[in-house]
This record gives sequence, C-alpha cells and structure tokens, in this order.
Amino acid sequence: MAKQIKPYSSTINVENLLRLKRFERPSEAFWNQFDRELHQRMLQTLVKKDPWYLQVMRGCSSSLLSGAALVLSAVVIGIFAVRTVFPPMPSQAATIMSFDVTAQVADAALPISIQADHLISTLDYGTDAISVEDVSDEDTFRRDFGMQGMQVAAYDAAVYSTDSAHARISFVSTGLVY
Amino acid sequence: MATTDSVSSTLTAAQDIPRLSERDLDWVVVQRVQAGHVGAFNQLVQKYRQQIFSLIYNMTSNREDASDLTQETFIKAFQAIARFKGKSSFFTWIYRIAMNTTMSFLKKRSRRRYISYETINEELSGSEIFERLTAKNRSEAAVLVHELQEKLNDSLQKLSPKHRMVVVLHEIEGLDHAEIAEITKASVGTVRARLHYAKQHLQSYLKDYIG
Repeated sequence: MAKQIKPYSSTINVENLLRLKRFERPSEAFWNQFDRELHQRMLQTLVKKDPWYLQVMRGCSSSLLSGAALVLSAVVIGIFAVRTVFPPMPSQAATIMSFDVTAQVADAALPISIQADHLISTLDYGTDAISVEDVSDEDTFRRDFGMQGMQVAAYDAAVYSTDSAHARISFVSTGLVY
Repeated sequence: MATTDSVSSTLTAAQDIPRLSERDLDWVVVQRVQAGHVGAFNQLVQKYRQQIFSLIYNMTSNREDASDLTQETFIKAFQAIARFKGKSSFFTWIYRIAMNTTMSFLKKRSRRRYISYETINEELSGSEIFERLTAKNRSEAAVLVHELQEKLNDSLQKLSPKHRMVVVLHEIEGLDHAEIAEITKASVGTVRARLHYAKQHLQSYLKDYIG
C-alpha cells in the first residue's frame, strides 16, 4: 500500500505529513464529557481531604470521649469507695483534706475556747496568733500541721458583737470549722 | 467638516488605547482566579484544552491517557495558580505543566504501550495535503489516511520523548523555537538541534510517503 502512494507524494515532505496530525481532533461529545469530568475533579480538589490520622481521630473521638468520661467517673467512684472502706490515717488526712482532724482536736477544744475568749475580749484582734503547741500535747498533731501558728483573719468588732459571740463561732468565721 | 474632525479624533483616541496581548488577557483572568473567582478558570480551560490535549495525545498516542493527563494538567494548574506570579505567560506555564506531567507519565509507562487513536477531523478531506496524497486514487483515500495515521504515530513513538516533544511543539502545535526553548527550559540551539535530529529520523521512517 505504501508503495502505491509513493508516486503521488513527490511534493510531500515530513513537515506536510506531520501537519496531518493537526486533524486528529476530538469530537464535541468528547469535550462535553471532558468538561464534566474535569469539573468533578476540580470540586474534589476544592473539598480537601484531611490526612488519614485526622480522619481516624475524628472517627474515634466520640467513643474516646465517652471512654474517657467512663474512666474518669470510675476513678472518682474508686477514690470514694477506698476512702469509705479504708479511712485515712491522721497524717494522711492532714495531707488529703486540710484540717479534717475533728476527733483529735475535740480534746483540745477547751483551751482554744479559752484563748479565743481572750482574743474576743480585745476590740480589734487583727492577726493574732493561735498557738497549736499550746492546745495539744500530741506529737502527731504538731507534726501534721508542721507550723507554730495560724493566722486568723481580722474582723471589725463593730460587725461582730463581742458580747454575744462564742469562741466556736469566731472560728467558723475564719473558715476553720471544728 | 467639524463632524469629520471629531470622528477622526475619536478614532485616533481609540487607536491610542493599547490593545491587550493574549498574555495580558490571560493574566487578567489569572488574577480573577487568584482573587477567588474560581469560575474564571473555566475560561482558561476552554481556551487551552485543545492545544494541551493535542500535545499530550501526540506524545502518548493514546486518546484516553491524553484525556486523563489533560485533566491532570488543568488540576495541577488550578492548585498552583495562587503561586503563579506572571513572570512567564500563562500559556508557557501551562504548557510546561503539561510537558512535565506527560514526561513523568511516559517514564512510568515505558514498558507497556497502548495505542488508541483519535478520530481524524472531516476538515482533512478539504486540505491541500489530502488532495495531493489522494490525487490519483480517491477510492483508497480512507485506507490511505488510516494507514498514514498509524505510520505517523508509530514514527513519533520511535523518537525519544525529548525529541518527540520538540517535533510536536514545532510541527504540530506551531510554536516557534524561542517558545519551545522557554517551555522545555533548553537553549534555542538545543531546540534546533533536537528538531533537526528528529526530522532526520522521521524522514527515514516515513520514506515511503515522501519524495
């Protein structure tokens, strides 16, 4: 077949033949399909996908949150249960809950009251010290608190009548409930 | 007379308005896309899709691959258009993207090659070259054209991708040496040398069709 056309192509060169390729063009239907596909692909690029690890995290987030809530509540319940079954030792109690030493201090309530009465008798007691050493002979008590005095907040005598105020009430006002 | 003067002055003023070049027109559209008018990108697609498809099709000789790679080219351009500063023309820029996309595809495809030809447009039958090829035998024109299409594609595929690229850009796409040099990032001398070498090889492959 090629030999048959040779005589007709004496004026044809490589450039002429290559220009024939310009006629290899897609139909209009092809371009319609092309535009649709390209539009879809461009939309996909606009809606960026997150990296895989973010997708995994997002997938697990709801179950993780509920799991974390469960663990947290289990821990809280566990702490309360342990504290109920095994009451804390005095030294531990001082560490865990401040001033939760009601039983031990009960014996020393009287000296404190006496001292408090003395304090109340003054008009403005400012930052008077209450000596822990004075009210308790127990070593543990001293060791637990590890301090020689407590600062008591000052109250104006005009607000709190010294005539009727009881020593215990005055301690309530300091925030130290015995 | 006064009317004639005013018309002529208006025409002169109109002529003074600088006409925007293709490059400037593209740059205006690019800036619109960069400003967030995503739909404006479609203007660029409509303008260059045929040329980009033709380049890739003549590089791959496969219409499906060409369609896919043309879409990939436009998507890459769309993703990178924010970084396009207008130092080169959009035309050169997108051709370079198409060339790089095609080259990396051809490297991956080096071991297997599927041929799938595009249909020849009916306009060919009215062309001068078609008249010359089929001057003495009209009845075999369709067979001749089909055979020639196969032979041309085979011959192009025998060239190295770099030589094929230069031939396609110059002889089929109609770009000049300087434009090809800018796209391929080679010197004009290199472009000329590649073109000369490629044509010599094509001449030997297509010797049955040329005088």
